Amino acid sequence: MKQTNSIYLYQNTFSSLLSLIQLLIEAKIKPINIKNTNYTPSLFDTIITLEINEKDGINFWISKTTKEIIKTTYYIFLSNNPEKELIIYYFLLNSLKYQNKIFYLRRLNCVTKALKISHQVTNEAHKFKGFTRFKELKNHILYAEIAPENDILILLSHHFKNRLKNEYWIIKDTNRQIISIYDKNKFYIVDNNILKIDHLATTMENEKIEKLWKSFYKTIGIKERQNDRCRMNFMPKKYWKNMLEMSEEIEKNNK
Amino acid sequence: MNLEEKLKILADSAKYDASCSSSGSTRKSKNGIGNTAYAGICHSFASDGRCISLLKILLTNCCIFDCKYCLNRKSNTIQRAIFTPEEIAKITINFYKRNYIEGLFLSSGILKNPDYTMNLLIKTIELLRHKYRFGGYIHAKAIPGASETSLKKLGSLVDRLSANIELPTESSLKLLAPNKEISKVDNIMQYIKKNHQKNFVPAGQSTQMIIGATKETDKDIIGKSESLYHHYQLKRVFYSAYIPVNQDKLLPRLKIPPLKRENRLYQADWLLRYYGFTTQDLLDDKNPNFNLLLDPKADYAVRHINEFPKEINTCSYKDLLKIPGIGIKSAKRIASSRKLFTLQFKDLKNMGVVLKRAKYFITCNHKYFINPEYFEKKFIESNLILEDKEKLTQTKKQLSFFE
Ligand code: SF4
Repeated sequence: MKQTNSIYLYQNTFSSLLSLIQLLIEAKIKPINIKNTNYTPSLFDTIITLEINEKDGINFWISKTTKEIIKTTYYIFLSNNPEKELIIYYFLLNSLKYQNKIFYLRRLNCVTKALKISHQVTNEAHKFKGFTRFKELKNHILYAEIAPENDILILLSHHFKNRLKNEYWIIKDTNRQIISIYDKNKFYIVDNNILKIDHLATTMENEKIEKLWKSFYKTIGIKERQNDRCRMNFMPKKYWKNMLEMSEEIEKNNK
Repeated sequence: MNLEEKLKILADSAKYDASCSSSGSTRKSKNGIGNTAYAGICHSFASDGRCISLLKILLTNCCIFDCKYCLNRKSNTIQRAIFTPEEIAKITINFYKRNYIEGLFLSSGILKNPDYTMNLLIKTIELLRHKYRFGGYIHAKAIPGASETSLKKLGSLVDRLSANIELPTESSLKLLAPNKEISKVDNIMQYIKKNHQKNFVPAGQSTQMIIGATKETDKDIIGKSESLYHHYQLKRVFYSAYIPVNQDKLLPRLKIPPLKRENRLYQADWLLRYYGFTTQDLLDDKNPNFNLLLDPKADYAVRHINEFPKEINTCSYKDLLKIPGIGIKSAKRIASSRKLFTLQFKDLKNMGVVLKRAKYFITCNHKYFINPEYFEKKFIESNLILEDKEKLTQTKKQLSFFE
């Protein structure tokens, strides 16, 4: 007979996950599965929901660990790794004991994994700081679409909040169907279906600027140094879709 | 001439400048648009694989000088163009807003005289900073022969200000750039170094040398860089493989630019700045040029094989940096971790050490990775060279697979 599979649920927020992990550790439970509430259980699953106080959870970890540990944990939380909750669990469990020394304990499997994932998320967020492309809509709102692997929209929004402080902008993550809206003061991340954006028409002026950028891009590469391999290394094809200057290149490749 | 044509001409003339970085500054946006990221951000990569971070253009490609290697030299019959300050500001702001760029790289040919040109640069950047309240990154080129007044003004507006020395020795400069005086470039570097502070060129200065247009050795070039880093605290020296754009009996006839050599110089430059190597460690009169088959660090290790193997658990941090396959990050990780426990080979992998390269040069807990009988110069050297070749064919295969 197959054994039942206990699954601990949290509310899909970072603080909820932290609270749950605190409760599990205090009860000395080693979970085999932690999932958020979007999870569809199968026949052999036993779903367990503990009573979670999100605020307590955050405070607990702030008092028991360090800024660096919480930051790393948060980045893992944003990743698309299907095992991320368990990785966070073991990373935090060990952090209680080792504090910041944990960053040097790559000998522990969970630490190596945790640092690798958090690095991937940081890295992807950094790439999109450069690779995101806005266009100016008729109503002067700047609009961009991105398709990142990890849930980096919030990290990116912080970046553009500082950089494009006095502009209205919207960034849509087409993989997750969520959008970030900035009103020159704060940004709000909401589900795509809450806000219908169907006026994506741009201005003539915008088209002129886009043409200028494309011709700048073509001009700035030195023919004698052409190096597709190198370009692909730094800017793999998966990013090209939303990058204006690569549209011709994509067409060329599809022919 | 419309704006697009102008942009094409003036970007085309600017593209040979190798400098691309947008790092080293922490300008915050106040009421306007834009800030800078200390680590720099690449916004795209051109067809030649170089990072595009800044809108790299010349204010004008008109020039009163006749440097032999330069597309814009007076004696060339090419189409000439001049941007107005308003045009540059408009393109910069519009590109920046759409997140195409991190900022502006503005250089220029010399129009009338150095200070006249400097004033045009100043006017343009003032317009950007004051009228458009632009807080993004600006790298401007100082024109050799500019007065201190104009250097002072320009330096207070930009993040990076720099002058290119172009050729590593005075004799080469006399030969190919007869109108340029090395002392004028020196003066600019000296001035920037003396006045460098938070509100004056916060991201420091850089320079560029053209590689392969004249007969200097790598030792001459890297030696020059070393002294520039030392004297003027330059942030970067860029190397630009010579690309023949002009016909001239004084210029070498190259079919392909010396890219491998350029790459070796960048690797060596890195070793100078971050790994504690000196020119003397890397090259000498018997070997004045880099080994094209082996990177400078591995080459050093093979030539100084009697200094190896190094024991990972006890050798100094400085020595860790000398080991091929160990970078700054992994050296730091090793130094911190070995205080907590004794490192084994399997730990090194998790720390980002490239064991394939490092294994010949280290012991871990007094064990050598392979049979100690193989600790022999010829054996190690040929293995390293072979591995590099394999890696190259592998990546080529992988890429053709994705295409
Ligand atoms: S001064 Fe500059 S732009 Fe003028 S010819 Fe010499 S290198 Fe070219």
